[in-house]
Amino acid sequence: MTQEQFLKKLKEQMKSIPEPLRSEWIFDYEEHFRRAMEDGLAEEQIANELGDPRQLAKEMLLVYRVNQAESSNGRIAPVSKAVIATVGLGFFNLVFVLAPYLVLLALLLGCWAAAFASVLGALTAVYEGLFGGGLTLIQSIFAALALLGLGMLLAAFSRWLTRAVSKMTLQYLKFNSRVMKVKKR
Amino acid sequence: MNIQFKKGVLDLCVLALTAREDRYGYELAVVISSKFEVAVGSVYPLLTRLTLEGYFSSYLRESREGPPRKYYKLTPLGRDHLNELIEEWRSFTVSVDQLIKEGIG
Repeated sequence: MTQEQFLKKLKEQMKSIPEPLRSEWIFDYEEHFRRAMEDGLAEEQIANELGDPRQLAKEMLLVYRVNQAESSNGRIAPVSKAVIATVGLGFFNLVFVLAPYLVLLALLLGCWAAAFASVLGALTAVYEGLFGGGLTLIQSIFAALALLGLGMLLAAFSRWLTRAVSKMTLQYLKFNSRVMKVKKR
Repeated sequence: MNIQFKKGVLDLCVLALTAREDRYGYELAVVISSKFEVAVGSVYPLLTRLTLEGYFSSYLRESREGPPRKYYKLTPLGRDHLNELIEEWRSFTVSVDQLIKEGIG
């Protein structure tokens, strides 16, 4: 592989990293080529020793994604992007990162849905009390208050759980990203 | 040596190399990859990660041979982190040595 081919592949895979970070990180490799050629190494050899450019770019994307997720304070979207970047690194992560993560997401979705359903139930109870025949007004008000309380409790719990899942996932990704490496060829 | 074991140790080695003087990125890449079985190119993502985590700062320095070169400098935060890692490493190797002695005699 020539320097041009190497850098082209690297750049292609790093498209989702914004400037100026992208150029700064690519600069490291351009400089490496320049410096190694001063030492009298051939382009092909330098590219070969550097490793697979696609894999290297994926590692840098993961570094970026994990950093973004860390500074996002427990939001789920940046963490999900970091999970996807990890999955890009290999099959192992599909099974040991993505699968458990999807299970956790389903759990979160369930919690939020339960919270939403409770609030919806409270509204339905009020409606029943006012216009329906099943409940007296007093009964419906009590039912609505109970459901509203439950809904708020569930929402608070879901919020807490969402943050906990984000943080835990990120810790796990960081741990994982430390044990993966581009092998020498 | 096992790859998974190595990566945590690589952080320690890169930080240790910069403890006394600022280092040229290329130099770090070459030294680290010659000591361990990792691709030269994979040292750069490591440097970018440590920089984003605040352990390194980087700057360009003019060189006699041509374009400016990128140097890595250990930050105070990086120094604290390095000291923690060294402590962990020392207690780890002490434990391993003890077990080897017990086992082999």
